[in-house]
Amino acid sequence: MRQFTGQRAWLVQRLSALLLLCATAALGAFLLIEGPPGYPAWRAFARHPAGSTLILAVTAALCLHGWVGARDVVLDYLHRPAWRLFVLAAIAGALGLVFLRVLVVLAATLANAP
Amino acid sequence: MAARPEAPAGRRNPAGLPRFLDLSAIRFPVGAIASIGHRLSGACLVLAMPWLPDMLARSLRSQDDYDVLLGTWRSPWMAPLEFLILWAFCYHVLAGLRHLLMDVGVGAGLRAARTSARIVLGLGFAVALVLLVARRLP
Repeated sequence: MRQFTGQRAWLVQRLSALLLLCATAALGAFLLIEGPPGYPAWRAFARHPAGSTLILAVTAALCLHGWVGARDVVLDYLHRPAWRLFVLAAIAGALGLVFLRVLVVLAATLANAP
Repeated sequence: MAARPEAPAGRRNPAGLPRFLDLSAIRFPVGAIASIGHRLSGACLVLAMPWLPDMLARSLRSQDDYDVLLGTWRSPWMAPLEFLILWAFCYHVLAGLRHLLMDVGVGAGLRAARTSARIVLGLGFAVALVLLVARRLP
């Protein structure tokens, strides 16, 4: 967990924020111009290597960004070491699971027949 | 923060620091509200994240699952939850953008920061409301 504290956490928070900001702007522009994609186009996007990579990158940024923010909040408001450890472990586990499950969903989408 | 009365001697935490949590006696300038809102919206979004993989799976499984998922989110019963998530997302992004701009020195002065805090608080709420209504138009 050392990699995710101090100055490196600050940097991870900013870099993931920039990626998520770009993704939000791109998604917002797309929805404004094209409207909701509809199932066939959405599935085709998720099956395209670039599309699935983008979804995975956004998920990774989301999990990392969520981790740094949640960690900051826990350290500010929870002071008992045992509670900190328990809550931080729960958050790390939950966010890690989110990433793994998205990975599984994308793999299943790629593996299924078109 | 406003001048605070001395904390009673009996209410000190293990570190020996006075504990003072009379929220009604602490002043909250607009910058503090913007900052707390950023944390609150971030906490909402983290709490919502465990549902994302399931929604992604359902959106990709079949046309029927996709339609059911979107239909669920159009139901009037979901509107309050949808508004909360939309507000948390919009406000968090705007407050984060304000934060990043301050990091590079844009609008970091007190006067500009207070103005941008007000703008971001208002805009976050307004954009969330517009999105909620726009999504429900035929």
